[in-house]
Amino acid sequence: MIKTVDISDMKISNNENDILVTYSLGSCVGLTLYDPIEKIGSLIHCMLPLSKIDKEKAQKNPYMFVDTGLTKMLQEMYDRGAKRKNIIAKLAGGAKLLDKKNIFNVGERNIVIVRKILWKNDILIQGMDVGGSKSRTVRLYMDSGRTTVRNKGEEYDI
Amino acid sequence: MMNKREEIIKKLDTIQSIPAIVSKVYKILKNRDELDFKELVRMIEYDPGLTTNILKYANSAFYGFKYKISSLHQALIRIGMDKIFDIVVAAAVGPILKQSVKGYDLPRGKLWEHSIGVAIGSEQLAKELNIQAPNYLFTAGLLIDIGKIVLGSFVDVDAQPIIALAFEKHIPFDVAERRVLGIDHTEVGALLLEKWGIPEEIVMVERWHHQPDRYEGDKLVVDLVHTADTLTMIAGIGGYGTDGLNYRPSPEVSTRLGLTRAINEKVIAEIIGNVEKVYEMLTI
Repeated sequence: MIKTVDISDMKISNNENDILVTYSLGSCVGLTLYDPIEKIGSLIHCMLPLSKIDKEKAQKNPYMFVDTGLTKMLQEMYDRGAKRKNIIAKLAGGAKLLDKKNIFNVGERNIVIVRKILWKNDILIQGMDVGGSKSRTVRLYMDSGRTTVRNKGEEYDI
Repeated sequence: MMNKREEIIKKLDTIQSIPAIVSKVYKILKNRDELDFKELVRMIEYDPGLTTNILKYANSAFYGFKYKISSLHQALIRIGMDKIFDIVVAAAVGPILKQSVKGYDLPRGKLWEHSIGVAIGSEQLAKELNIQAPNYLFTAGLLIDIGKIVLGSFVDVDAQPIIALAFEKHIPFDVAERRVLGIDHTEVGALLLEKWGIPEEIVMVERWHHQPDRYEGDKLVVDLVHTADTLTMIAGIGGYGTDGLNYRPSPEVSTRLGLTRAINEKVIAEIIGNVEKVYEMLTI
């Protein structure tokens, strides 16, 4: 089954027939976590780096922010039986406009916070397609753990 | 033989009009001190489609009232004077902005979603900056990409050279439009709004939303809408078409408005948090 992850959303699965997908990643980040032994995988789509900007919204929807969202995503993976040492992380998104002043570069900050949290959890990012001015669609195929990015009609593995 | 620019401008004649009531309502609401409420009700009642829509809006979950209202008079009071014009415009242009857009490769509903994001973002930004902005701010935001509806079929034909300029030479998409077609979606949009009798202050926002520094009038609304468009774009509200993220935000606008990262991020959170609710209300 194809399960769509909206903006500020996360889906988790242990069903080999599932494909998790998220569309229209601009400056948002899409991160997949996959445990190939336990066959548990998840995909998150976060817009903003830090929840301190709006704590009330973070409480209602932790997946809007990387810090609260990724922390909760990891917890859900562990709760379902995924093991930290098995987890493969792949990251896409974090694009930017043609912006000289960088005041709108939320994408880069999103990536920094993802890296920080994964580093603290001892999880390596094994595939990545970030930055630039392109939009992306990300898919996680639950049967193989394959993560792909699609941009302008072209789908490739990361 | 006509050049492309002339051909595009000629195409505007084939676009459907919006009801004349839109500019009439604006005129009545503008003179707030001498506002003739009865006259306003009478005028709207004259348009049964619009009356039905306004009643639907007023009874939508957005306002959160349990009891249903059935008179236009009550509906206008519930919506509030400041919002009546927004609602009238949304009812008139909604069906047009909801269409799929050729050339920009936007599926049905996506341009509408983006437009609503910009409208919400403009108001939230003004609030965040403690700025008392004019009443037409929401509507100015809602209308910014209307030109894409007309220009889309021309972008479709000349997609290759436009895309090459934008994605290989990193030239903003509106500049690429101008170089290849001799006109961009902001100018086409402004001409269309003018033809529809939309007030000039709103037409100017449409015209200059990608080049706010070139506008010689009061830049406040243009600056707010330009920024809200940028924030809606990076958040991916309404998805991405052919133009993707290929636009350049003006650093001068950031300075004029005193934008900070924190303000930008707060506004993004508000757009994401509200877009679905407003979309639902305006999509009846």
